[in-house]
Amino acid sequence: MRISTFWAQQQAVNQMDLNQSALSQTQMQLSSGTKLLSPADDPAGAARALDLSSYNAAVTQYSSNIDTGTARLGLEDNALSQATTLLQSARTLALEGLNGSQSDQSRQAIATQLYQQLQQLVQIGNSQDANGEYLFAGNTTRTQPFTQDANGNVSYAGDQGQRGVALSPGQTVATGDPGSSVFMQVPSGNGSFAVTAASGNTGTAVVGATSVSNPSAWSPADYTVQFTAPDTYQVLDSGGNVVSSGSYSDGGSISFNGISMTLSGTPAAGDSFSVAPSGTQSVFSSLKQIADALNTSAPDDASVAAMSNKINAALQSLDQGLQTLGETRAKVGARENMLSAQKTANGNIGVQIQSTLSGIQDVDYASTISQLNLQMTALQASQQAYVKVQGLSLFNYIQ
Amino acid sequence: MPDLLSLGVSGLNASQLALDTTGNNISNVNTAGYSRQTVQVGTQQPQQVGDFYMGNGALVEGVQRQYSQFLTTALRNASASQAQSTAYSDLAGRLDNLLAGTSATGLQSSLDSFFAGVQDLANNPSDTPTRQALLGDAQALAQQFQGLAGQFSQFQSEINTRLGADVTQINSLAQNIAQLNGQIVQMQGAGQAPNDLLDQRDAALQKLSALVGVTAVPQDNGTLNVMVGNGQQLVLGTQASALKVVSNSYDPSRSEVALAGTGTVISGQLSGGEVGGLLAVRDQVVVPAQNQLGRMALALGSAVNAQNASGMTLNGQMGGAVFSLPAPTVLSNSTNTGSASIAASISDPTQLTSNDYTLRDTSSGWMLTRSDGTSVALGGAGTAASPFTADGLSFVVSGTAQVGDSFQIQPTRNAAAGFALALNDPAGLAAALPVASSTSSSNTGNATIGTPTVTDASNPGLLGTANITFTSPTTYQINGSGSYAYTSGGAISMNGWSVAISGTPQAGDSFSVGSNAGAVGDNGNALLMGNLAQKGVLDNGATTVNQAFGQLVSSTGTLTQQSQNQLSAQTALVNQATSAQQSVSGVNLDEEAANLVRYQQSYQAAAHVISTAQTLFQSLLTAIGGA
Repeated sequence: MRISTFWAQQQAVNQMDLNQSALSQTQMQLSSGTKLLSPADDPAGAARALDLSSYNAAVTQYSSNIDTGTARLGLEDNALSQATTLLQSARTLALEGLNGSQSDQSRQAIATQLYQQLQQLVQIGNSQDANGEYLFAGNTTRTQPFTQDANGNVSYAGDQGQRGVALSPGQTVATGDPGSSVFMQVPSGNGSFAVTAASGNTGTAVVGATSVSNPSAWSPADYTVQFTAPDTYQVLDSGGNVVSSGSYSDGGSISFNGISMTLSGTPAAGDSFSVAPSGTQSVFSSLKQIADALNTSAPDDASVAAMSNKINAALQSLDQGLQTLGETRAKVGARENMLSAQKTANGNIGVQIQSTLSGIQDVDYASTISQLNLQMTALQASQQAYVKVQGLSLFNYIQ
Repeated sequence: MPDLLSLGVSGLNASQLALDTTGNNISNVNTAGYSRQTVQVGTQQPQQVGDFYMGNGALVEGVQRQYSQFLTTALRNASASQAQSTAYSDLAGRLDNLLAGTSATGLQSSLDSFFAGVQDLANNPSDTPTRQALLGDAQALAQQFQGLAGQFSQFQSEINTRLGADVTQINSLAQNIAQLNGQIVQMQGAGQAPNDLLDQRDAALQKLSALVGVTAVPQDNGTLNVMVGNGQQLVLGTQASALKVVSNSYDPSRSEVALAGTGTVISGQLSGGEVGGLLAVRDQVVVPAQNQLGRMALALGSAVNAQNASGMTLNGQMGGAVFSLPAPTVLSNSTNTGSASIAASISDPTQLTSNDYTLRDTSSGWMLTRSDGTSVALGGAGTAASPFTADGLSFVVSGTAQVGDSFQIQPTRNAAAGFALALNDPAGLAAALPVASSTSSSNTGNATIGTPTVTDASNPGLLGTANITFTSPTTYQINGSGSYAYTSGGAISMNGWSVAISGTPQAGDSFSVGSNAGAVGDNGNALLMGNLAQKGVLDNGATTVNQAFGQLVSSTGTLTQQSQNQLSAQTALVNQATSAQQSVSGVNLDEEAANLVRYQQSYQAAAHVISTAQTLFQSLLTAIGGA
């Protein structure tokens, strides 16, 4: 084949251009560390890399969500723990106040302490997070949930909402509990029923432990236990019908319709105790009832008995409050565990995504560098060949 | 009897001409389009001397260019395809790099940041700086869409400008070829072929085919007729016609190539050359990508707007639109004769395609055709009460159309450009659910009520309070009336919401559902908005925005990769064709050096013949003089 001198040179130059552009491509891959310099290099890989990096961004965001949620739950747990400690101490004080050796004065001192604790409990209920949001206000987080009026009664201004945090696509976990369920809607009495001494009682009978002894026989309704004599009682239902009757001695128990209650002391004829199914009562009012009872002068045995009945009833409700707090803390703990498990899982997913992503877009240095060497050799060879061939001309020999 | 002196002179002349031609070849070694020339030498008419003929010396018959019509045509066609691939892969590659969101500045990372901002809002619903940050993310996302759309219109206007420049060049080359045709006819009439003019014409034709694919038909009189497209005459003998750039009959922002004389648009028929590449990349890459991007913007914007409108703002009002989205562009054909106008709107963003549409009034009513050529059945009557509906779009026709009138509808083309942030007030982000449920504190049963879900945010009674009171463990009434059977976990729906109560209620227990105003800490709606990142909002709910973007990047990447592969294949072909053509027409310096030596020697020999003739004559004179 005839070779055109011009084209032969042009071809050599074209070849050098090609070698140079391949070399520059490899050099750019090495210096940027990615083999996908443009999506056209690997269209499917580029789309996958986009997908994965977006997934990675989402996982990072979920981890940050989890951190926020964990912080909120930590604050809640802390507040609940403070409230528990406070109620336990109030409980001890109340038991102290029940002690027969107390005088009006010493009882009033205890009551003062209890009033202070009530205020502290309200403050705990009004705990805020770092952003100034109230922890126990439900979703009305910018409104102070608990306020105490002039009489010391506490009211709740929040709602029953519960905030969730997204842990992974479609999965949320609650990061709070509304104050209504933690502090306000606590079952009263023993959780099934509550016994209240009539205010006109003149005897010294005090209600002790109460329980449902036979759940199948217990049907929630209002009853009245009436002493017809210090040693005889009858139980009336709300219609005034006698459902049970019997005799009583100090420290004995009265059982009817599947429930039983222990009494101590001596009732007077005509004294009565009402039995009602449990409603709800806030821990604040339980605490206040104890303090109010201790703050009332009790000059004689009958008024001491009335006071004791009030305190015992309120203590039962307080125990329900403590139980509610305990249950809530258990739930908070379970949520914290869930968050931390998901965080670990997200971390693992993140590592997996990174390694897949790296497989798609990162340069394999060993093979790329050896490719660079090959390309350099090729370019050098074509340059040397050009110079050598360039020197070949018949004109060199024609003199 | 021949004369030795004239024999020598004829040889001398032949060698002289051959040397000149060799010199000319050497001088033109680097001239583009030059075909090497050779001298055709023959013998002179012999002379009869007695019974035999004596040779009468050499005669230069002509100077011929070394040329193959076949190889030159092959090279021209290969160059036309190469020029098309070059223009195509250049634009596709630039667009591809533009979309490549792997860098921290791409659309993908803006999308990720926006959804991360929504999650942050869910974590901190009442915090104004967090809300402000989300608005910032939304603004950045809108700017990213607008920026990409701006680049797309840059591409469009670059294509228009380049088409204009190419057409100007095509016209001047056509003029050039027509003139050369004239000169060639004239000079050919004088007998010999005008080699250099033929080379010039070939070179002009070569340049022309780098601009647009052409067919050249040589005529007997030496002229060359040149045609573009489906046989439209560009050069006919010594007459050149011209092309011009006109606006598309629907879309004034889109240039088309037309015949200057009749104004007939021939864009669809052109292929090859830069013009062919520009037209192809516009239809195959730029417009589809622009439409896909617009479709993503519309679907995302509509979904976010709908979610925000289903929630409650920090001020206790129902949310509004976060993004403003442009309505479909309707372009009427410049040849329409009726008075009809079309109003198009999007009725269901999840059904949008990335096609453009043509709505045409035919003798059998209005017909809708997608840009891919398929026709779509129209629902409705085209009136305001019952608009035409198809592919998630609805059209209302007003005025009177004439049969043959047509409109082009671009539902998604300009959506990314018009995608803007509509919400300025951070409080307007609806993080909270509009309704909340609550349980009465005096309930004695263990039934619990769930969180209400909004099923119809536009229900006027949505925020009204509904009290659900149980009259027995198995029946309930709403707002004190009715009696409905209760099943644990069953949904209770009214006022555009739905809620489930489960457990065992007691008679007298009550629950209520009502406005959630004031619950600034509620993040229910923000959580739902965050889920949009993983929710199918395109192709009838099958494709998420992220997936749609991945598809756009990968389809553009694939087209770019194909065009790059095609370009290297075409380049190899051009190299091959050039080698073949140059092996016939190219100048080889070694060959010319050898020719120089050869013709120099023959010149010297011929000179020697003359000198011999002189010596012979001298000998004769001496002999006579000496006698």
